[in-house]
Amino acid sequence: MPARSRDVLAGKLPISLITGFLGSGKTTLLKRLLRDPGMNRAAVIINELGEVGIDHELVANSSESMTLLSNGCLCCSVRTDLQETLRELFIKRRAGEVIDFDRVFIETTGLADPVPVLHTLQTDGMLGAQYRLDCVITLVDAVNGLRNLDDTPEAAKQAAVADRIVITKSDIAPPGAVAALEARLERMNPYAARRLAVNGEVDVAFLRDVGPRSTRAATADLDRWLSPSGEPPPAEGAYLGERVRAGVHDASIRSFCLWFDKPFTWDSFSAAVQVLTSLRGSDLLRVKGLVNVAGEPGPVLVQGAQHVFHPPVTLEAWGSEDRRSRIVFITRNLSRESIESLFAAVGTLSAPQG
Amino acid sequence: MAQSLPGMKPRPDKALSLNMKLLSHHELAGFGGIGEGMGMQLAKDGRRILWMAHESAPKNFTAVDVTDPKNPKLVVQTELPHAKVRSNSLDVVGDVMAVAYQTSAVDTKPAGFDMFDISTPESPKLISHFDASGKHSRGVHAVWFVDGEYIHMASGAADFQPTHPSDDQFYRIIDVRKPSKPVEVGRWWMPGTRVGDSVPPPARHPKFDSGFRAHNTNVFPQRPDRAYIGYISGGAVVLDIADKSRPKLVSRWHYSPPYTGFTHTVLPLFGPELLIVSDECTYTDGKDWPKLVWVVDARMETNLVPISTCPLPPVQTFASNGGRFGAHNLHENLPVPGSWRSESIIVGTFFGGGVRAFDVSNPYRPEEIAYYVPPTPKLSKAGSIQLNDVYVDDRGLVFTVDRFAGGLYVLEMTV
Repeated sequence: MPARSRDVLAGKLPISLITGFLGSGKTTLLKRLLRDPGMNRAAVIINELGEVGIDHELVANSSESMTLLSNGCLCCSVRTDLQETLRELFIKRRAGEVIDFDRVFIETTGLADPVPVLHTLQTDGMLGAQYRLDCVITLVDAVNGLRNLDDTPEAAKQAAVADRIVITKSDIAPPGAVAALEARLERMNPYAARRLAVNGEVDVAFLRDVGPRSTRAATADLDRWLSPSGEPPPAEGAYLGERVRAGVHDASIRSFCLWFDKPFTWDSFSAAVQVLTSLRGSDLLRVKGLVNVAGEPGPVLVQGAQHVFHPPVTLEAWGSEDRRSRIVFITRNLSRESIESLFAAVGTLSAPQG
Repeated sequence: MAQSLPGMKPRPDKALSLNMKLLSHHELAGFGGIGEGMGMQLAKDGRRILWMAHESAPKNFTAVDVTDPKNPKLVVQTELPHAKVRSNSLDVVGDVMAVAYQTSAVDTKPAGFDMFDISTPESPKLISHFDASGKHSRGVHAVWFVDGEYIHMASGAADFQPTHPSDDQFYRIIDVRKPSKPVEVGRWWMPGTRVGDSVPPPARHPKFDSGFRAHNTNVFPQRPDRAYIGYISGGAVVLDIADKSRPKLVSRWHYSPPYTGFTHTVLPLFGPELLIVSDECTYTDGKDWPKLVWVVDARMETNLVPISTCPLPPVQTFASNGGRFGAHNLHENLPVPGSWRSESIIVGTFFGGGVRAFDVSNPYRPEEIAYYVPPTPKLSKAGSIQLNDVYVDDRGLVFTVDRFAGGLYVLEMTV
């Protein structure tokens, strides 16, 4: 029986954010993506149209800021800012002035901190109504990646908030570099799936349909969003990580998943999140999870970055027996224990007092 | 390729979609002009048969097997006796179908409706004909037949002389419990529209005078004592039909002028106590813009309050493509097996604007959540698709039809 009310997630256009430090191979990946037959209705927003050097024979039509490729892919450069570009794209799409693209890939500049971009997608009312973040894809190159993670806070943040990590240049990296990088990334962000890509060769399917895209989604699908193995997300990054010498910057970045056996009341959950965001919002790089809220038919999907959380979305049903709340935190200078104790304290206070 | 240059015109030869996916397209054997009658039969052999009334002659109605939505199959297509009659409207209850007949001139036959036995969809058998022809009548424009017992319709009658020729079709209730012998049990017309009425005729719309007559005449089992009627120039009308022989006016929401007239459908949502009221765009190139879908607060049925309209895409873009652009038919939550019913999602056709779905769960701020605008059909005389009617089945599949040439489009809605 089809539902008689709306699936608020299915109605939104997915956005994949492509980040990666300078020289990590974003342009090569984009070139590859733009030629992929599976990209026949995608819009790609890049920094410089000229930069990706689209083959002339691929270009079906072009203007100063937009190019339509013969495979149907729409390529446009960021105009004044990303917010404006996304708004304009949606308005033109609705008016039939551009193809009715079904997803958006956004290239961020190499030096960009991706967290403010996530923030923008959450705070802009129109963008929030029409688009949803599908995933953050971070490119890390096997030659310089490890050093960048050490030396540059932006590079570390990019890897930390990723849902998907693409390791590039493994073919020209010194022996052992890929393994060292993988170990480091596993420790920083065990919740992102990783792939190697040489010359941008990566399966497009790996880069899309990652985030929750239906309120009727199965819990197993959501676990795949929270954890690359498809298993419920592990409580902690790999133990190995603790023995690896931490870099100067990313030593402070932690990722962990908190599990809660008992259902929350919405009031107690939101109270804990409010305390957390008001005191330490800037240190919450990313939060994503499924929360068991008493009285709701399915898990409540929560997503946030820094001080701002997306409006929570209640899914229609639990797809599995395991109904524990699971929340992945990527934080800076903020320990697992302090967040755990915050939730515990709020839980104690909100429980009926005898 | 579709274009993307700033300042360039849109390309009506390309489909546009949001959360609706085309599963199949059937050109109906070259007769792809469909009116505003669509009904689904759940046949005894398990097939789902979609019945459609044609917009104009030569064809009467067409049935398509849509059991497999990706592979619709033509089941039957019938002829009209001559070109001065159109069927336009039909409804299906079980294995019985009512088909309207409206003539282009008064005093012409057949004008009325037919009852068909469609238990063998390949060979519909005529059960009876109800004659509504007359010196001042063009017959029946639209039928509402959902309970197997009564047909509610917009019809002229031999004994009805309107004060203005455009006011010929009023609300009539026909008892078809004995399908072989339909008999009228009640009627209502807007006071002043019949010669001999004690009140003067209503003032005509100064610019868009389409007639004070009934269009869609809907009655639902949740409120069997109410008829919800789009009364064209007369606005939205709610009648008390507890006594079918004497329908009484409960309320009328009249908003044209200043608006451009032609109230088409009044769809009640009983849970949220709303009326969804659709206009019909009847002029090309945006001349009668805005033609809207209105959300009306009906908590107090004697004081109907419009609170919002469903947002449409820019008229500048769509009206210039050619043909009509604006509201028309809604999926009417038909209280019959096989029909989808929703109290929060409204699906409607907008001619050149395609088929569009709106979420009205916040009635003050309806949101567009899905649409599909097919490319201009090859043989269409309009410059764009002209989606005329829509039916959503209980599988959530959206069936929509072009007014002139495109035939049937089967869509999957993904919201």
